Amino acid sequence: MEERLYDLIFIFRPATPEEEIDKMIATLENTVAERGGKVEKKEKWGARKMAYRVQRHREGYYVLMVLRATQGDMVHELERRLKVNDAVIKYMTVRLDEDLKRQKRLQQRRERKASRRPRGGARGHGHPGGEPAAAVAQQQ
Amino acid sequence: MADETPKESQPQQPQAASEPKEHRPQEHPRAPEAAPANQRAHEGRPPEGRPRGESRASEGRGGEGRGPREGGREGGPGKRGGRRGFYRKKKVCRFCVDRVDFIDYKKPEQLMTFIQERGKIVPRRITGTCSRHQRWLAEAIKRARNIALMPFGGAR
Repeated sequence: MEERLYDLIFIFRPATPEEEIDKMIATLENTVAERGGKVEKKEKWGARKMAYRVQRHREGYYVLMVLRATQGDMVHELERRLKVNDAVIKYMTVRLDEDLKRQKRLQQRRERKASRRPRGGARGHGHPGGEPAAAVAQQQ
Repeated sequence: MADETPKESQPQQPQAASEPKEHRPQEHPRAPEAAPANQRAHEGRPPEGRPRGESRASEGRGGEGRGPREGGREGGPGKRGGRRGFYRKKKVCRFCVDRVDFIDYKKPEQLMTFIQERGKIVPRRITGTCSRHQRWLAEAIKRARNIALMPFGGAR
């Protein structure tokens, strides 16, 4: 199976001790390694005000992990573990690779376009301005 | 009617003096700009050989889908020129201007400008966002809502 890229965001209750958060992250990393995945990025955003109340909490401790997976059930296992942990009040997994693929394709297309027409950005504005100058130059 | 008359016959037309006189001076600075825009967007309407007044009339109503941007499809609604003397400022998709290929749901500060006070996503007829970017934007906002980065309703 081809590789897939995921964003995994989860939120702890604000009162969770730092050690417990680190422990949870470590377990998740283990799970990822077990299933042949890779942790691309690991970010602790820290305590942050949430846009709405979740389980009566106004704040939450956000953690973001970017994961590369080859097995589809990796995400299931991760979500199961997050669900089991009481300190986690919210989590979300988003598949990213399709969006990134699209982004790459658009970038390439733009570059190709730019190379085809060097002065594409001018949109013809430079042309009428440039022509009289060239004509003057020829007369001299 | 008055708009369809060719340019050179206008002084003889009695009715031309009443209404279109007001927007005639505005037409001049816009006309050279409008002609290349027509040629770029391959709409199958030949812009050349048609009286200037008529091309303008069609632009006021039906010309909205024709964005002046290159690439055609990405162009936002081109709101130039009402039928009366005033014309609305043309809205341009902000994401197209910045050449955005991906809208990140993890940056709620940026997305916040595209929701209303009660949390609604602002329609693109207001913001001028092109359809493609509006789609991506809506997706990003919904993702952000899911993980409590953005509100579903009003900020509580």
